[in-house]
Amino acid sequence: MIDDAARGSRRTGGQGKRRLLSKATIRDDVERELEAHVRMRADELVADGWAEEEGLAEARRLLGDQSELAEACVEIAKSHQRAVRRTKAMDAIMQDLRYGLRTVVRSPGFALVAVLTLALGIGANTAMFSVVDGVLLESLPYPDPEELVDVREARQDGGSMSAAWLNFVDWREQNTVFDEMVAYTSFPTTVIGGDEPVTTNVAMVSQGVWSVFGVTPLQGRLTVEADHVVGGAAVVVVSESYWRNQLGARPIEEVRLDLNGVRASVVGVAPATFDYPMDTDVWQPLESTGPQSSSRTAHNWRVVGRLRDGVDVERADEELDAITARVVLTEPDADPDFLAVGVNLQSLRELVVGSARWTLLVLLGAAGLVLLIACTNLASTLLARGANRTRELAVRASMGAGQSRLVRLLITESLILAAAGAAAGVGVGWLLVDLLRRTGPATVPRLQDVGIDGSVLLFAVVVTGLTTLLFGLFPAIRLARSRPQDALRQGSRGNALGGRGLSWTLLVGGEVALALVLIVGSGLLVRSFRSMVSVELGFDASDVVSTPVSLSRLKYESPFDHAAFYDRVAQELEAHPAIESAGVISRIPVGGSLPTGRLELDDNMDRTTVAGYVVTSAGALEALDVPLLRGRHFDERDREETPHVAIVSESFAQENWPGQDPIGRTVTGGGMDNFWEERPFAQVVGVVGDVRYVELGVPPRKVVYFPHTQRPFRIQFGAIMVAEAAGSDASSAAVPLRTTLETADPDIPLEVSTQTELIAESVASREFTMLLLGGFSLLALTLAVVGIYGVVSYSVATRTREMGIRLALGADRTGVVQLVVRSAMGMVVAGLVVGGLAAYFAGQLLEGMLYEVEPGDPLTLVGGVLILGIAGLGASWIPAVLGTRVDPMVTMRAE
Amino acid sequence: MIIGLTAAPAPTTYGPYMSRQSLELLKGTLDIVLLKTLEAGPRHGYGISRWVRDATGEDLSIDEGALYPALRRLEKRGFVESEWGVSDTGRDAKFYHLTPDGERELASAVDTWERYVSAMSRVLGAASRA
Repeated sequence: MIDDAARGSRRTGGQGKRRLLSKATIRDDVERELEAHVRMRADELVADGWAEEEGLAEARRLLGDQSELAEACVEIAKSHQRAVRRTKAMDAIMQDLRYGLRTVVRSPGFALVAVLTLALGIGANTAMFSVVDGVLLESLPYPDPEELVDVREARQDGGSMSAAWLNFVDWREQNTVFDEMVAYTSFPTTVIGGDEPVTTNVAMVSQGVWSVFGVTPLQGRLTVEADHVVGGAAVVVVSESYWRNQLGARPIEEVRLDLNGVRASVVGVAPATFDYPMDTDVWQPLESTGPQSSSRTAHNWRVVGRLRDGVDVERADEELDAITARVVLTEPDADPDFLAVGVNLQSLRELVVGSARWTLLVLLGAAGLVLLIACTNLASTLLARGANRTRELAVRASMGAGQSRLVRLLITESLILAAAGAAAGVGVGWLLVDLLRRTGPATVPRLQDVGIDGSVLLFAVVVTGLTTLLFGLFPAIRLARSRPQDALRQGSRGNALGGRGLSWTLLVGGEVALALVLIVGSGLLVRSFRSMVSVELGFDASDVVSTPVSLSRLKYESPFDHAAFYDRVAQELEAHPAIESAGVISRIPVGGSLPTGRLELDDNMDRTTVAGYVVTSAGALEALDVPLLRGRHFDERDREETPHVAIVSESFAQENWPGQDPIGRTVTGGGMDNFWEERPFAQVVGVVGDVRYVELGVPPRKVVYFPHTQRPFRIQFGAIMVAEAAGSDASSAAVPLRTTLETADPDIPLEVSTQTELIAESVASREFTMLLLGGFSLLALTLAVVGIYGVVSYSVATRTREMGIRLALGADRTGVVQLVVRSAMGMVVAGLVVGGLAAYFAGQLLEGMLYEVEPGDPLTLVGGVLILGIAGLGASWIPAVLGTRVDPMVTMRAE
Repeated sequence: MIIGLTAAPAPTTYGPYMSRQSLELLKGTLDIVLLKTLEAGPRHGYGISRWVRDATGEDLSIDEGALYPALRRLEKRGFVESEWGVSDTGRDAKFYHLTPDGERELASAVDTWERYVSAMSRVLGAASRA
């Protein structure tokens, strides 16, 4: 028996089961063990009478292949070690988690505030990211969207124009860089044949559109080459939404639609994923509508191309530039101002996302700042709380926890808070996304499809991880390094907030600086919005209602039939007691756009100018209260057969006839009403005030008005019927407008709204940005105040003893409060200085979104500084007063 | 622990030391034997093989080589622990002892083994009577 060996001395030391060994040590251990076996076996053989050498050899033989055996043992031992290491790590993590959870639960108030803070920060980011992700990154739901390019003609001055048909044909035939190019245009058209007549976008598209966008039909077929020929049968493809909403999703074989007088058969349904150009319900082969203009200055078509594999935009640009330069030479007589000199290419995604991109990125950045503030806030609170935990941490350190272990412990606490914050944050984000979907402006493409998906969740996880590091790491390292004796020593000579003056200045100051950036940014938007909505419109919007109207050209063949119809309706409306005046106009003010082109002056076809072109009845100008400055309005004298007349806007008169009387001068619409072969010049009979036609933020354009009775060309594709209420309540005119039009022609789709609503709609996108950014900056302000309050009250709480001594020694209570407030305000002011500089530069990023406000607007900057300064003063004064309202004797006895 | 029903195919080295044909261990039973040898107290590897020989009167032989990987596996599974010490002959040796888990494992393995043996005996006894 050899049990007694167990009691032998352990001179090589214990090898506990959790002791980790290196690879070399393991091999050594195994080899020593096997060698020991051989030796002991040999000892026994020798005792049995073997010679020493033979005994050793026999012992080895009996054991077998020693190195193979060692190898097997080493493998097992190594896998054992790995398992031990894993268990050890898991144990440590579980231990940290348990400890962290206990700590978090022990102060539920702090945990609640922390989780809430993080939830708001992470929620805001999750929501903004899902919008950015959905709108900017996934805005083109077509195969290989990066290959899709918008092609426009470049003017001499570098501006862009739509393409002329012949130029498009030449590009398509001569280029080697595109797989396919298509031309298209789209305009609102009255479509009859569904459940009700609707005005919707009908696009004319050239052959190849479906393969450029990679569309497969939902029902039926798409248009094919045989449809895309001059004189081809009138066939159309409808959108999924039109098919469901207006055709009841029924079989399409029998369906025929009336498109502004053209009867067409529906041959197929395009899936909802295909939405180009945006909001199109009907696609029609443009070739079938007849031969196209042979003028290279007739800019009627938008063009999209799909680049060949491996071709970049620059190369395509060069090649099309060269083709364009060559082909325009065939038209030497064309007006050089309107002849292309090359092309401007832009990725289609850029075009679709357009101005929404910058706004969304600014908002995402703002959400990021909010989260950064939330992190700073938590970091300072953790640090402040940590001051009370130095003893606990010192005990842990003395029990053998190394610095890295302490950091891990503290980070785990932060991670628990962050995880809870992230969970709540995704919930907040979901609510916010829902709110954005419901209230967001229509100008943001694909907003309705935005949702929280996998990539958004991944983003939230990454953000949470970063957040934890941001707010947890700094205090963790600070606290793990600090030793109680340091804290004691520093305490007596630090500033009034305790020993960590610099850390706290960084944190509180940083928070204040970030908040100031947001407040100033949103302040700029608010000021810009205010100056925009209080802008001089040039007309009175308050008592006007209007509706777009589009008459079927089947029923109303001549443009003069249209004019007569509108006159009849206007007369009936003006007879109504609720209506003051009514009329028709080709463009509604603040309607988003204004047809602008070349006009000729003074009976001279060579004296030209560029201006807006509006066709109107006298009633419409009266209804809008556009002020008549000189001369007269249009009236019953101005008929088809009488000499043509025009009214010009004030700025038009000033530019073209400076210091002269515009009445009696002549003007004509040139290409704008080119169906007039003889192009008679019209005599100017009146001057009206300038009107903002495009939108609030765009200054008024020079405009020439022609009477609808003489030049109705532009109202036959759709016009606006306006009515001014007799009282001050615009909506009282809405019902008469609708019923009168419906009685006159029940097939007209109507969309009556007050002018005030239209204006609100035109600024909706700006308002939306302003409100969101405003919301973020309010959040930032709140977080900053909470942060300052927290730091001051914690530091006062940890220093009650010192306060007590000061008070006991006769210090004035007000003096002590002042001491605390002064050092807190030191941090706030530092933050304001840095934040002011940062806000000045951040303001430059907003420049494109501002209206009549400078990015460095001093009023906004000062306002922001005052708001934060006062908030900071309150947030430090209140806890200072509360904290010093202690009996000195009580606090001194407490220790 | 699994107790196999088939005999181990492993070649067994019979030294001149073994005077008569020993029984091969059934696959998987080596673990029980090792745990059993440690029941009385810590032993080193060579001690274990000695003890098996002594206890079974050399009816049962353990492949000396197989012993060490088996011990390492038991250690990995947490049934034994080891530490270096000095043998009664004054040599460095690695001593193994049972852990509480090992003791439980041994008890349950012995129980299973006994039920197995009695079942086998009944089957074989019945067959011989038939």
